[in-house]
Amino acid sequence: MMFRALSADWLKIRGKGIWFLAALGPIGLAGMQGLNFGLRYDYLMKSYAADPWGGLLENVLFFVPIALFLGTTLVCSLMANVEHQLSSWKQLLALPISRTAVFSAKFVQAFLILCVSCLLLSVSTAVLGIMLGMGVEQMPYMDLLRIGFVQLFAALPMLAFQLWLSLTLKNQGIAVGIGVTASVVSMFALQFPDWMPLKWPLMAYMGPDQAKVIGAGLLLGALIICAGMIHFNRKDVD
Amino acid sequence: MTELVIQTKGLYKTYKKRAAVQDLNLEIARGDIYGFLGPNGAGKTTTIRMLLGLIQPTRGAIHLFGKDLKSEKMNILRRTGSLVEYPSYYGHLTAVENLEAIRRITGGPKSRIAEVLEIVSLTKEAKRPVKGYSLGMKQRLGIAAALLNNPELLILDEPTNGLDPSGIHEIRELIKNMPRQYGITVLVSSHLLGEVEQMADKVGIIREGRMVFQDTIDNLVSTASSGFRLSVSEPEAALGLALDLGCAGVLRDHMLELESMQDAKIALLVKRLVENQHAVYRVEEQRRSLEDIFMQIVGEGSRV
Repeated sequence: MMFRALSADWLKIRGKGIWFLAALGPIGLAGMQGLNFGLRYDYLMKSYAADPWGGLLENVLFFVPIALFLGTTLVCSLMANVEHQLSSWKQLLALPISRTAVFSAKFVQAFLILCVSCLLLSVSTAVLGIMLGMGVEQMPYMDLLRIGFVQLFAALPMLAFQLWLSLTLKNQGIAVGIGVTASVVSMFALQFPDWMPLKWPLMAYMGPDQAKVIGAGLLLGALIICAGMIHFNRKDVD
Repeated sequence: MTELVIQTKGLYKTYKKRAAVQDLNLEIARGDIYGFLGPNGAGKTTTIRMLLGLIQPTRGAIHLFGKDLKSEKMNILRRTGSLVEYPSYYGHLTAVENLEAIRRITGGPKSRIAEVLEIVSLTKEAKRPVKGYSLGMKQRLGIAAALLNNPELLILDEPTNGLDPSGIHEIRELIKNMPRQYGITVLVSSHLLGEVEQMADKVGIIREGRMVFQDTIDNLVSTASSGFRLSVSEPEAALGLALDLGCAGVLRDHMLELESMQDAKIALLVKRLVENQHAVYRVEEQRRSLEDIFMQIVGEGSRV
């Protein structure tokens, strides 16, 4: 059932600019570092002489959480808006499909779109590194992959929460407002106590206890999805 | 007794303290076109949303196809097609893509999309984005979507709302054909009696959340008679004869005005008049228009 809903959802987001957004984020991040390294090439390459790839990743790293949170917010909102715009909920939910399936399909769709973004981030960072003359043989494949995906897992609570807000509130201003605020606040994440989920993406990449943080992300994410699903199942559709 | 496709018992829906639907008992038999009437805000859409499981009733039971909606929602929805208020569609997609998005959920063959587009005569426009459609076309697309899964029951909420006369005519013809051609039972809501009268067999009239009339159109029409006027050669004598027979009436403009009565009684009266050498020129039934009756029912909330 969920896959049927998902298959319909892929059709619905056609031409809505969601894929453009999903590509813009990671390529923009890499582009920004391209500018940074391009303008200060000699200085930066000298200071990172021992580990140029590590230097590049470090520069990218701090922008990933805000990009992830913003991306999560916007992807959820754009997806939900497809249904809100012309009140398609009443048609969709009067079809022989459970609300659980509809909700899970939306979650899986948002997750997969963000996975594509993370993969693009790894690829575009690698391409940038090569363009900057960093050696292909020293390329840290694992870290390049981890920089996006590990943070995505730690950001799952945010994804679940934003999806819930976007799907259940017709006024997307509320969901987007909350999401943007969280994204901006996340820039100061390193000063937060460890239990703050906004700090988890950075912790999941840098440590300590990466596994624990990822586990916490998955667990809290799952809890929020369950709560959202229960609410969505009971909600009256106007 | 014919099988009931929709049956509700003591249905209530309360918002905060306002009761939107109260003690509603709907009964719709297989193959019927049921006109669900009421002024705006009477609770029609609320009832329809409850029938489709979109909102939870506060109290009461809903049975569709003889099954409980709560426990067999998926089975019921699989056999039901719906259009709730204004049509829902994805404006950036074409008609075919819109229907495909639904087909991916309900299953069924791809060829059905072309079939339903043909039924609502949208085949020519099928490849255009729906946001460019006229309201009538969108409404027809909504009906196509409702028909996509070969439903046995079609629930249409104000399908002709906002359409021009030719659009209304088209939709009406479409709905009238459903039971005949496809054996589909139809529940169609409207706030206009004139519109429902031309397609429904049975009507339910709802006012402030309560059902105030539920019967066939024919019975509604029969309540429309408000009396008879007789034009005869000797009115005074004729009136005496009528009063002797137990009819109530008066003389006005040289015509007898009698209160409504059974067919047998009017026949007897005419027979007596003829036997007594009266010339009977005309016997005419005076009718209130259906609209008047509707207004009376809706206005006063009294049972006719």
